[in-house]
Amino acid sequence: MNTEIILETQALQKRFTGRKPFFGEAKVVRAVDGINLKIRRGETLAIVGESGCGKSTLARLLVRLMSPSDGTVVYQGRNIANVPAEDMRHLRRDLQFIFQDPFSSLNPRMTIGALIEEPLLVHNIGDRQDRRAKVAAMLARVGLPASVIDRYPHEFSGGQRQRIGIARALITEPKVVIGDEPVSALDVSIQAQVINILQDLKEALGLTLVIIAHDLAVVRHMADRVAVMYLGEIVEQGPVADLFANPKHPYTAALIAAIPVAQVGARSAAAQLQGDPPNPIDLPTGCRFHPRCPHATEVCTTTRPALAATGPDRWAACHHAATLSLQGHAATGQTRSAAAQARFDLYRDRSADAARTTTPT
Amino acid sequence: MTTEPLLQVTGLGIRIDGTERDLVSDLTFTLNKGETLCIVGESGCGKSLTALALMGLLATPPLRVTGGTADFRGRDLLTLPAAEMRRLRGDRIGMIFQEPMTSLNPALKVGDQIAEAVRRHTGKSEAEARAHALEMLRRVRIPAPETRLDVYPHNLSGGMRQRVMIAMALANAPDLVLADEPTTALDVTIQAQVLELMRGLQRDTGTAMILITHDLGMVAEMADMVAVMYAGQMVETGSAAAIFDDPQHPYTIGLMSSMPGLDGDGDRLVTIPGVVPPAREMPGGCRFAARCPFADAQCAKVPPTLPVAGDVSHRVACWKAPLDAQVAA
Repeated sequence: MNTEIILETQALQKRFTGRKPFFGEAKVVRAVDGINLKIRRGETLAIVGESGCGKSTLARLLVRLMSPSDGTVVYQGRNIANVPAEDMRHLRRDLQFIFQDPFSSLNPRMTIGALIEEPLLVHNIGDRQDRRAKVAAMLARVGLPASVIDRYPHEFSGGQRQRIGIARALITEPKVVIGDEPVSALDVSIQAQVINILQDLKEALGLTLVIIAHDLAVVRHMADRVAVMYLGEIVEQGPVADLFANPKHPYTAALIAAIPVAQVGARSAAAQLQGDPPNPIDLPTGCRFHPRCPHATEVCTTTRPALAATGPDRWAACHHAATLSLQGHAATGQTRSAAAQARFDLYRDRSADAARTTTPT
Repeated sequence: MTTEPLLQVTGLGIRIDGTERDLVSDLTFTLNKGETLCIVGESGCGKSLTALALMGLLATPPLRVTGGTADFRGRDLLTLPAAEMRRLRGDRIGMIFQEPMTSLNPALKVGDQIAEAVRRHTGKSEAEARAHALEMLRRVRIPAPETRLDVYPHNLSGGMRQRVMIAMALANAPDLVLADEPTTALDVTIQAQVLELMRGLQRDTGTAMILITHDLGMVAEMADMVAVMYAGQMVETGSAAAIFDDPQHPYTIGLMSSMPGLDGDGDRLVTIPGVVPPAREMPGGCRFAARCPFADAQCAKVPPTLPVAGDVSHRVACWKAPLDAQVAA
């Protein structure tokens, strides 16, 4: 694995301040609160967490769709947190974003051809003929027929729109692509198609991919490394297989335990966590997770734990990381019955045959 | 477990006015007392329409029931007069929807909403209904239920609101609860709490449940029986064990193989190519034929019916089933 750092944040913070009341102080939400993250060239890094943990804010800070309140985001030696707007525009050719809801991010009055061509125009890439050729090639790559260029976004289903969103993000041949829940609005069968497209394109174009997600099965499938966020902080980070098998932070363990597994009797019934995440305006003292944590002790209520190394390439922000033995998801290898497996294999082989015999148009 | 049928749906058809074919077509299933039936499928498969039709809540026009019966304790839900249906809903049949915020009345305190549901269907006094509402909030494990009686829905988190919905749905100890994507809007740790709660309450009360979901993981966890729907038709039905350990229909198999697994085998996902046919242009034969790797000319022409496969409760609507025979072919 290449460990060259392509994008890095240092003590990154984003605070949102509410209206100042007549008496007292305005309330402040620390959506992203002191995040240090090193993204390696060519990897897929997943940032996971529940609603309100600040993962989408972090994603936007990484490409400066938002400006940080404090801290730096360094891309190729430059702090993009304070580069002039004009320079940032040039940098966006390298740093692209895929949104969760492709429909609200596509101009409904532009044709698909114009939408995908637009980033090329913005960055003055190629002449008219080149651009046309690039758009046609990109459409083929995301599995859309060339005939779509004169049609409009409303004519497409969610999965097709997400393909358009991906085409638009990748047309400038970016180095880093940030996807904010890129597949979570899609049905299972369509989600699988889009995951495959993203992985194929990542491979073909040598992309670095940052995926914001809440679906841990998708994360397990796509990511090389995972960063788990809780209330604005990274609480655990590590390589995907190791982190799923041996979580070191109780929150990670709870997230893994909460995934419904599509196998009868695969999961014990008990929910690990009680209560809701606390209000981000009124953060708990000490470790932010302590009110929901089954392992919290005195020290957790008073002292905020720092993200510390727990093993090779592993970090966790928990006072008890060294002593807790938490259960992860043990890869059993055989999760399907023999009959089911035989039919899955048959389906896969038949699908491959069908794909070979029908030439795509 | 008793296997006395509670709800028997036979040949249910739902159509959009002005179209040639039924959107939901010839749906037949049985729900036994105290059991959970999961109806699973992707967007547009007709799972929510089916629930709405059973509750008499279909938007007519443009939608209408074209045929079939739904026998619930000796009465046909599809032909019941509106007034009688209103008496059943909220009393013998409870409902839980995906978005609690849009199904709770924002202008009413949660205690009053639950009490209203109780008073409407029982002869309880205001004070008794309020006491019952408090008891229900306690049973869905809302912290500090005494004070929560007098808050408005917007004061509660998503998970708490869904608990209020569950409390309301179960307030009159219904025989049947229809839950349409009850945890889709919730975070995973909250979803786990709500599912555990629903299972516990169901065990205590013996209520039967129709759980509508797109999430196969939830199906494996909650279902006694499963019905897999595709484009308005039931393509496979059986016990949860039969569906997961012995899937027969190519769509069921394709859907399962499209799900990324937690073991991280790193293989490319095996997908179902193409998209669901549009609601107004349902094909005549097997509706899955255009996306099915096993389909031939017959499949596209003649709709398959649900014959018996293996034990009587496991049925699959596919000309090519059992697929294992295809290996030889």
